[in-house]
Amino acid sequence: MKPAVFDYVRVNSLDEAIEALARYEGEAKVLAGGQSLVPLMNFRLSRPGVLVDINDLAEMAGVRDLGHALAIGSMTRHQQLVNNDFIRERLPILPRVASYIGHWAIRNRGTLGGSVAHADPAAELPALLTALQATIVMRSPRGERRLLAERFFLGYYSTRLDWDEIITEIEIPFPASSPGFYEVARRAGDFALVGALAERGTSGGFVTWFGLGGRPERMALPAWTAHEEERRQLLRELAGKLDLPSEEEYKRTIAVSVAGRAMADAEGGN
Amino acid sequence: MAQAMRPQMMGARVSRTEDPRLLSGQARFLDDIQVPGMLEVAFVRSTHAAAKIVQMDLREVQQYPGVQAVLTYDDCPVQLWQREAYEVGQPVLAHHEVSYVGQPIAAIIADSRYVAEDAAELARVEYEDLPPVTDMRRAIEENPRRVHAHTPNVFFHKEYATPSVEQAFAQAPHHLRATFRTNRQTALSLEARGTAAMVDTATGRLTVYASTQSPHRLREDISGLLGIPTHQVRLIVPEVGGGFGMKANCYPEDIVVAKAALMCRKPVKWVSDRTESLLSDVHGRDDIHDVEVAFAEDGKIVALRDHLMADGGAYPAYPFSGAVGETSLASRVITGPYDIPHLATVIDCTYSNKMPLGAYRGVWGPVASFIQEGIVDRVARHLGMDPAQVRLRNIIQPHQFPYRNAAGMTYDEGSYQACLQQALELMDYEGFRKRQQELRQQERYVGLGISAFVEPTAMASSEAGSVGYESCTIQIDATGRVTAAFGLGPTGQGHETTMAQILADQLGVRFEDIIVLHGDTDSAPYGGGTGGSRSGPIGGGAALVAGRQMRERLVKYAASLLEAGEEDIELGDGKAWVAGVPERYISIRTIAETAYTNVTKIPEGLPIGLELTARYLPKSPRTFSNGTHIAIVEVDVSTGSVAVTGYGVVNDCGRLINPTIVEGQILGGVAQGIGAALLEALHYDESGQLVTTSLMDYLLPESTDMPRVMMRHLETPSDGEGGIKGMAEGSLIASPAAIANAVSDALAPFDAFVDTLPVTPEMILEMTRGELAR
Ligand SMILES: Cc1cc2nc3c(=O)[nH]c(=O)nc-3n(C[C@H](O)[C@H](O)[C@H](O)COP(=O)(O)OP(=O)(O)OC[C@H]3O[C@@H](n4cnc5c(N)ncnc54)[C@H](O)[C@@H]3O)c2cc1C
Repeated sequence: MKPAVFDYVRVNSLDEAIEALARYEGEAKVLAGGQSLVPLMNFRLSRPGVLVDINDLAEMAGVRDLGHALAIGSMTRHQQLVNNDFIRERLPILPRVASYIGHWAIRNRGTLGGSVAHADPAAELPALLTALQATIVMRSPRGERRLLAERFFLGYYSTRLDWDEIITEIEIPFPASSPGFYEVARRAGDFALVGALAERGTSGGFVTWFGLGGRPERMALPAWTAHEEERRQLLRELAGKLDLPSEEEYKRTIAVSVAGRAMADAEGGN
Repeated sequence: MAQAMRPQMMGARVSRTEDPRLLSGQARFLDDIQVPGMLEVAFVRSTHAAAKIVQMDLREVQQYPGVQAVLTYDDCPVQLWQREAYEVGQPVLAHHEVSYVGQPIAAIIADSRYVAEDAAELARVEYEDLPPVTDMRRAIEENPRRVHAHTPNVFFHKEYATPSVEQAFAQAPHHLRATFRTNRQTALSLEARGTAAMVDTATGRLTVYASTQSPHRLREDISGLLGIPTHQVRLIVPEVGGGFGMKANCYPEDIVVAKAALMCRKPVKWVSDRTESLLSDVHGRDDIHDVEVAFAEDGKIVALRDHLMADGGAYPAYPFSGAVGETSLASRVITGPYDIPHLATVIDCTYSNKMPLGAYRGVWGPVASFIQEGIVDRVARHLGMDPAQVRLRNIIQPHQFPYRNAAGMTYDEGSYQACLQQALELMDYEGFRKRQQELRQQERYVGLGISAFVEPTAMASSEAGSVGYESCTIQIDATGRVTAAFGLGPTGQGHETTMAQILADQLGVRFEDIIVLHGDTDSAPYGGGTGGSRSGPIGGGAALVAGRQMRERLVKYAASLLEAGEEDIELGDGKAWVAGVPERYISIRTIAETAYTNVTKIPEGLPIGLELTARYLPKSPRTFSNGTHIAIVEVDVSTGSVAVTGYGVVNDCGRLINPTIVEGQILGGVAQGIGAALLEALHYDESGQLVTTSLMDYLLPESTDMPRVMMRHLETPSDGEGGIKGMAEGSLIASPAAIANAVSDALAPFDAFVDTLPVTPEMILEMTRGELAR
């Protein structure tokens, strides 16, 4: 369980990082927290010729208030999302959801940008970003590119990120009302078996499921009800539309329950 | 001698001698062994479950910079099981054919593990696939084919029946059938396996460091299989980070590493990584039981039929086939602590294209308890009786000891009924039942599972081998300090503490003045190693016998030097004195000085020095511990999640040497039981690929999965030395069944029973028919 041979470059600026990616023409990979990439390399499932380490890019970590949204640097660690007072006050759902990622040691290393680029279908942050219609901001030699999360995530571990692009920032608009959240995992700290976020709209609302199929799915809920049985019926219909591989079929039932709890959570006004 | 009957240290909650070094990271494990010039090994392992090796091209591997040697079967033509117990023995490196994924094919010896792994990728192995044998029931019927062409798949078959079992079935008013399934697990020690070997260029002796439970046996295996005289092999066991039976085997890698050191004349080391550990540490628990039970109206169980099947993997693990161990012992203790007079068992162990099955803590027990306790609960529900009542009706009564069970095993005295009753009380059984009813009204599903167990310990033969005795060599040096060496192979149990406790009482020296040695065949007396819950009762027995003999010697010295009668001498706190006259004393140190340096003063008939070796062979071939576990769970029927919310244990392992250590053993077994019941499964797909090759897929219990465990001890002494019984496996024997039964109890409103371990969310949803519930 040792990685294949690779070269290592530690960069001091974003420009340098972009330049390094371009120079190695697809041979290089960005190293952020390393919590997903390094295990993959140890299993030799990922064999980048060069690692471009962006851990020194302090300017890529931190939070800015854009008025209508928060802009969070891609190198912000999960645990910083959990601890940051400003985020806790302005976007409390984010620290709450981030606290479900792995364990403390993993959250100390893992980054927002890494989680987005890695695009695990059962990861919490990509789901939250999809639910809140966040914008992923990327830079490459061609300049800046912005994509809505919904457009960015394609399927199992696959995104629209090009090999020469670096995620610099994520813009998360403040939701009209705080979404509800619920997830089931086999053990505390595991990736979700099934998770859901629920936002209440003016008439209906939205449910974003994760841990089902290849990517988080944000689906419109035609109506919003607090009535248990009606809610269940609505969600059953919605979950019926999910395209699931056969081995995940049993999760459809869990999806209904989990989304129901997320809706109840949204009403609780967390 | 009367004073020896008042032990101070035995039974005390002494802190473990081992812990400071373990907790501060100072312990030295196998991978800490660094020798200048040491080479490292990576194995080329089969990626196919069943295939002929048509061609193997290792030229690029050999030419890779930093590679020092490449070994194939031709370099190391050794088969495990040359002793002809089975018709099949695993070649330590595959020979023309591979039979399971992960099987070692070639060993690459290189300057570092990095280089070795890079080179391993360059091996070109051309396979011609054979149909993989992956389904146990089909394999038993020789489908789709024989794993080894020259011999049937069923490599162990046995039938047993009590004389009137058929009649008992025919006459009983009630019958039930059930099939139970346990899935493959492995011990998953925190420290993975590893072996290092080096030739002493001066003497030509081979020194092997190994992370093993059986130092002497492994030395014999290496010596026997490689044809080296035993005295030319020295086996040293460094600190071992967990074994759980899995490290009792001699593995192909052990032999290959030793051979590589001999060939290269350089130190060679191999340490398993976690994927190798999941692929190639012996697996356990791959069993199916088809069971039928006959019982009376009042809940009395009269007869049991069990077809026990186990998938032994591609080869019988050496020298202990887990499939045979799990089934044959289970067949003999399948009635557990219950008085069930009639029994019929059939055993079939089959080959397959999977990793060989070996020992994992509890071996037969977790499987047998799951079945025996599952049956009791099914009988109770069928009759509409309380499961605790059915247990009390069937449990062996105090007056029945020694009790001979239907399989002919004799249980020595235990506290079966008392443990059951006290466990019910400990967990407020009646109160729980009320609470359960109330919660059900709120559609919350809590359940309580009872698991009463028996645990045969200190067995004459087990995965640790068939050395029925244990040895202890005591040396008191000229300053009165003690070293005591054992043939044990501790892997974290705290023998350095428990053995010193026993000796301190006997020798009258301070606990701190005793150092316990083990694991170096050059200094440790011959012994059976650690396994089968033997070290406490047999090792502890050896400590008692050796300690007593040395004590007699010390008393003789004291009597002679103090000019008193031997019967008046008392020992303690590093001194010997005349009873009632404490100022007439002599220190052990002075006695020791006399024994080594003032030899003219040695009492008549005693040898020079204070050294002796004693061996202890228990007169009974085993002694049974017992107890009852109760688990409380809550099942979330909407998501299939299970939380273990309460746990209680009443345990009886005879005389306690150190209650804190016993409790640690119990807690670990409960944690492993949660893994067995809810999380851990090694899964092979239809092509024979192991798909759970990392801890992302093989789920271990975490600290947050553990409930608080309430524990109580009863002490029914064995008839062996010190009244000690073994206890290292009981907690894992009992706990999976307790949790499984708790889940079944929670799901009683759905009329569901757990019949497969581990219980996954998917299975729970199936049992509750998913959406019907909320
Ligand atoms: C035991 C364990 C448990 C975990 N549990 C969870 C969990 O419950 N939920 C969860 O969501 N995650 C979990 N994770 C994963 C964790 O969240 C990772 O931190 C995250 O997936 C990747 O972030 P990283 O910064 O570590 O990225 P890295 O591992 O460094 O990189 C991952 C990928 O993203 C690319 N990348 C990284 N940063 C950028 C960037 N700025 N621009 C472009 N590409 C980039 C890399 O090149 C690489 O391909 C767990 C990890 C472990 C080890």
